[in-house]
Amino acid sequence: MSGAGQYRYLFSPLRIGPLTVRNRVVFAAHLTNYAQDGLPSEQHAAYYAARAAGGAGLIITEEHSTHPTDWPYEKLIHGFRPEVIPGYQRITRAVHAHGVPILAQLNHNGGQASGMFSRLPVWAPSPVPDPLFREVPKAVEEHEIREIVAGYGLVAGHCAAGGFDGVELQCSHSSIVRGFLSPATNRRTDRYGGSLANRARLLLEIVAAVRAAIGPGLALGVRICGDELIEGGTTIDEAVEVARMAADTGQVDYINTSIGVATATLYMIEASMQVPPGYAMYIPAAIRRAVPLPVVGVGRFKDPKQADRALAAGQCDLVGVVRGQIADPDFTAKARAGEAARIRTCLSCNQECVGRMGLNRWLGCIENPRTGRESVPLPAPRRGGRRVYVVGGGPGGLQAAVTAAGRGHRVTLFERSGRTGGQVAVAARVPARAEFGDLVRNLAAEAARRGVEVRTGFEVSAAFLRAEAPDAVVLATGARPARPWWSGGHPRVVDVREVIDGTAAAAGSVIVVDELGFHQATSAAELLADRGCLVEVITNGMVVGQDLGVTLDLETWNVKAHARGIRQRTDVVVLGSREEDGRLVLSVQHHPTGTALELACDWAACAVPVQPEDTLWRELRDGDGGGGAGGGLPFELHRVGDCLAPRRAHAAVIEGERVGAAL
Amino acid sequence: MSAAGAPRLLDTVTLAGRTAPSRVIFGPHETNLGRGRALSARHTAYYERRAAGGAGLIITETASVHGSDWPYERAPLAADCAGGWREIAAACHPHGALVLAGLGHTGLQGSSAYSQSVLWGPSGFTDAVSRETPMIMEEPEIAALVAGFAAAAAAAAAAGLDGVELDAGPGALLRQFHSGLTSQRADRYGTDRLALTREVLAAVRAAIGPGRILALRLSCDELAPWAGVTPEQAADQAAALAPDLDLLTVVRGGPYSASAYRPDAHTPPMFNQDLAAAIRAAVAGAVPVALQGSVVDPAAAQAALNAGAADLAEMTRAQIADADLVTKLRAGTPDRIRPCILCNQTCRVRDNRNPIITCIADPRTGHETADPPPAADGVSGPGRVTEPGARTGQPDMLVVGGGPAGLEAARVAAGTGLTVRLAERSAGPGGTLRATATGPARERMAALADWLEAEARRLGVQIDLGTEITADDLDAAAAAGTQVILATGSRPVARFDPAISVDALAVLSGAVRPAGVTEQTEPQAAESRAPATGPTGPVVLPDGPVVVFDPVGGPIGVAVAELLAAAGRKVAFVTQDPVAGTLLSLTGDLADANVRLQRAGVTRELRSLLREVSGGTALLEDVWTGAQRRVGCAVLVDCGHRLPEETLYLARPGTPRAGDCVAPRTVAEAIREGRRLGLAAAGLPSRPSHLSESNLPFQYDPPGPGSARDPRTETGQGARR
Repeated sequence: MSGAGQYRYLFSPLRIGPLTVRNRVVFAAHLTNYAQDGLPSEQHAAYYAARAAGGAGLIITEEHSTHPTDWPYEKLIHGFRPEVIPGYQRITRAVHAHGVPILAQLNHNGGQASGMFSRLPVWAPSPVPDPLFREVPKAVEEHEIREIVAGYGLVAGHCAAGGFDGVELQCSHSSIVRGFLSPATNRRTDRYGGSLANRARLLLEIVAAVRAAIGPGLALGVRICGDELIEGGTTIDEAVEVARMAADTGQVDYINTSIGVATATLYMIEASMQVPPGYAMYIPAAIRRAVPLPVVGVGRFKDPKQADRALAAGQCDLVGVVRGQIADPDFTAKARAGEAARIRTCLSCNQECVGRMGLNRWLGCIENPRTGRESVPLPAPRRGGRRVYVVGGGPGGLQAAVTAAGRGHRVTLFERSGRTGGQVAVAARVPARAEFGDLVRNLAAEAARRGVEVRTGFEVSAAFLRAEAPDAVVLATGARPARPWWSGGHPRVVDVREVIDGTAAAAGSVIVVDELGFHQATSAAELLADRGCLVEVITNGMVVGQDLGVTLDLETWNVKAHARGIRQRTDVVVLGSREEDGRLVLSVQHHPTGTALELACDWAACAVPVQPEDTLWRELRDGDGGGGAGGGLPFELHRVGDCLAPRRAHAAVIEGERVGAAL
Repeated sequence: MSAAGAPRLLDTVTLAGRTAPSRVIFGPHETNLGRGRALSARHTAYYERRAAGGAGLIITETASVHGSDWPYERAPLAADCAGGWREIAAACHPHGALVLAGLGHTGLQGSSAYSQSVLWGPSGFTDAVSRETPMIMEEPEIAALVAGFAAAAAAAAAAGLDGVELDAGPGALLRQFHSGLTSQRADRYGTDRLALTREVLAAVRAAIGPGRILALRLSCDELAPWAGVTPEQAADQAAALAPDLDLLTVVRGGPYSASAYRPDAHTPPMFNQDLAAAIRAAVAGAVPVALQGSVVDPAAAQAALNAGAADLAEMTRAQIADADLVTKLRAGTPDRIRPCILCNQTCRVRDNRNPIITCIADPRTGHETADPPPAADGVSGPGRVTEPGARTGQPDMLVVGGGPAGLEAARVAAGTGLTVRLAERSAGPGGTLRATATGPARERMAALADWLEAEARRLGVQIDLGTEITADDLDAAAAAGTQVILATGSRPVARFDPAISVDALAVLSGAVRPAGVTEQTEPQAAESRAPATGPTGPVVLPDGPVVVFDPVGGPIGVAVAELLAAAGRKVAFVTQDPVAGTLLSLTGDLADANVRLQRAGVTRELRSLLREVSGGTALLEDVWTGAQRRVGCAVLVDCGHRLPEETLYLARPGTPRAGDCVAPRTVAEAIREGRRLGLAAAGLPSRPSHLSESNLPFQYDPPGPGSARDPRTETGQGARR
């Protein structure tokens, strides 16, 4: 079977109030940090247009703030300013050019904010501080509630003038409406607190005001949190009731769903690969049974088949595919063309999308260097048809080969080992990190499609390159483990990489030393514990796996560590090691107090900085001719990724892309 | 006190033939005022205000000299700064101040997040904070760096600046070459660790010529003696580099001591004085030396000059708090200087969120283009003159509450010429700010309370202590045409059984104290302001283990735990977070606070929810796993959030109010809101009026560039000249 016919429901059109969408794939609302001075940017337009061009059925923009008291992060779109309208028109023109409808999301984040940017008190139903921002909000008075409602109406009018096909009210994971709906944050005793009818009063007033502002010709959606996952918070039964109340107004055209509270349980909203796909589908399923409106389901949809199955199961009418389309804007078009295998599958690694959002940086993607740069034109190729040798088949080398081949060069990739994938392939050997391997699987498949010649098991020498004299050489030779200075060459002090790939048969009690603060140590610890080892992770940092917080993996790591009996010890540095009675003893110091400790174990697995594998670079640089950077070489010479400086996979990918595009 | 021949802070100083009007420096620091990577009109207004206030030498926010360096999003890039430098020079020079361009490259201590490019470093040292590993610089990168410094310096000179300051401080690539921690090179840049700096200095001198100032900010102690730059090594380095320099600023810090450069009040002021003295001795007059490091008190700065520790004093945070510091010194009114309390809460802005620099005590700082100067901030001359009490014999304004919000509202209103009465229920003004100004790191807060009170009194505010205001009083005031402002503060929340729990502020204020702590250790006049003091005097904290419950993660919980541990109590610090004091990342005290707690023997019960307190124990639960455990708990100190004290407001809704009685937050919000209400009472614009521009029904301070010249700013500064 070919093309869209593989899918029973995904490509069937659907009416959403006054709109008709051509398929069920929604690019649902998410933050991008693309706003400039509170206004939508050219990058916004280019970003959404790329997904429209890629076949999305419906696009919903990131949130537009409805009031100046709402400014939780720097690069928020201040929808209440009329100056937004030209930017809105730029977005809607760009998206409509591809025949795709686009809605604007309206929101006031309420107490889930601070006054850092607004220099105003934060507004909320009650003076209950947010778990993340921890600022006591001002309990809004009735006249302020009227101002909030008016703000939604004002911004809805701006959106209509900006050419949007409708608006969505974010009443879900970070919203003053959720704040009013939730018993956890609404302690009011007036007509906006107490009973559900009272707590929903603000929502219904906003629905009326927004519908009045946009008229009958535009769509109006309400996004509801189906389960806050916090103590005393909203759960599914009340969420269904709220959806019913919204539907009963007769003014709402669809219901969108979400799970969690952005400032408390974000790891369940933008779940990483540690959480099974489709984990939140009980929410749209329950709402869909109760209301006669189309319902959107979300939650780590990264495969069109998986989306089609959710539709077939009646769990939802539309499927939110956000990260899937961040990674591959052509997600829908490729599925429709029967080329789903060509989709650059999202890893749910959260490193450059979710992770960058939390750090106030523009949204990107670990495996798509163009994400976030859609408005920046690619440099014109210098000339095609050059003979390019890429040395090393990790993510940097693969990306360089893919990009260079895409620019019309003849590319050969050499890989010393028996398979491509580099350190990414090693990391993906840990079961819970298997999806990370899609990064190099996607790249290797693309390399094959673009005609890259891949030669594995081939060690490249400087002499070979000089003799071959291609037009350009890209070194992507990676990094090699470095024994920590304190190991004394002890054979049972090994790198985590050797533990994961099976080179080192660590057994018994193992101390994992975490100096990198990311997945390396925690992955190895999890794997070792699953192999039956007694594991303790120690770190010189204040937290084991400190950067896991950025990718929303810290919570799941700690749950898994607890379940496996993995111990954690922070603020310690290793000062030496010795063999004693057949055991390995690490001398460590608790650096805040200076306390010395002796930790006995059978093996030590180290996640410590690695060394660039730059032997080939040095040979080429220092060989005859000299001159540095290949000045005396018969070819152009570049380095990408870890062989330049050991970093995370994204650095390898963007450097591979940059060099591949510049050849 | 004064040593023979020692210069006064107010004396001029001549560097490379250019004369600064005073020896007070406004040093380079992150502001987030930039636009893209350029300096903005907000920068210009920010620096001009300090020049107008008498600063002798201003060094602009350090600009990256090469595109490989982009350490924070709004970090200036020298190639984009020529226009901004020109405007800053033009704005500051009429006031006499000299202006240098801060130039630098952060090397391996930068970030690849914005450039999406590899970092540069002398060796492959992985940064202790970011955990990023740089590429090892080779000859082409070194040549590009030297050329970048020279080009940036030439552009600064062409823009009319008086010279440049090069960064070899705690976060600088030049320092990374100086240090054995970060440089293990075997080439000539490793055998002579100053070689790169020498090459840069020579290239920069060639670019700017002998008639402009070439200054260096040099880390003279990396606080890592096992391999880092020590004071002894630094003395040799300084002596070797001195002949090429016109000014040397002595600083400290390195990759393992990021917080040591401009620490908060947990580090005593003037901490670099001995270091500067040693370096000044080593350079033996070859170059003037500037003292940096929590120099916030002019008298202490003068004493350092008298002692021969330095020739100039860098008082950056002092001038963030009071831009008119030098002017007030010249006027012989040093007591009128708004004090810097070294809190670091809003002026330390190297943070992913890009907060705009400001000051908890002066909300106008960082907002000079948008926020009009109240006449009360002027050194002389009233803004609006009214006939005091001319209409009815009643004051123009009644302020209820004498905390920072009320005092600031009263001060600002009185400064415009209004007659103001402030009524405070307790026996002493200053509110929570003063009551909790206890302990080594917090006692400086009292200076701000003192200043607010003294300024209010100087401007004629009638302060009535021990005076409770009722709703009837508000009605009477309204009938008499008196404007009313409520600043009634906050109250604790009854979260736990009062028999076993104590409010954190009561502990800090001394109303509740651990046994064995005597009256002498308390700050003065504790009895006059401690709200929870019983009729028989301070309450003694029950014996036994103490649980400090801190769901906030700010300075209060940590301070309470330290205070109790210092009193010999067994303390468990309970937080839901993976570390204690999470919010202290902004002030730079996060890691240090955790170290202090552990050294004091405080048990950190991390990522723990407090489920119940009973039978002498507290039941804790892991936030992620749900695992439960019990710890000893004879008494619980509740450091949780407070609620607004709004009894009076609820009796007369709609009355203007400020600070904690709106929502309990920090001193910064209290002063900001007090100031706005004080200005509004005088009929002065308290906010930029965007309402007329866009018909917005709200108050709003939009993002983006400041206007080049706000007419209100002009008026205000004219009044001060």
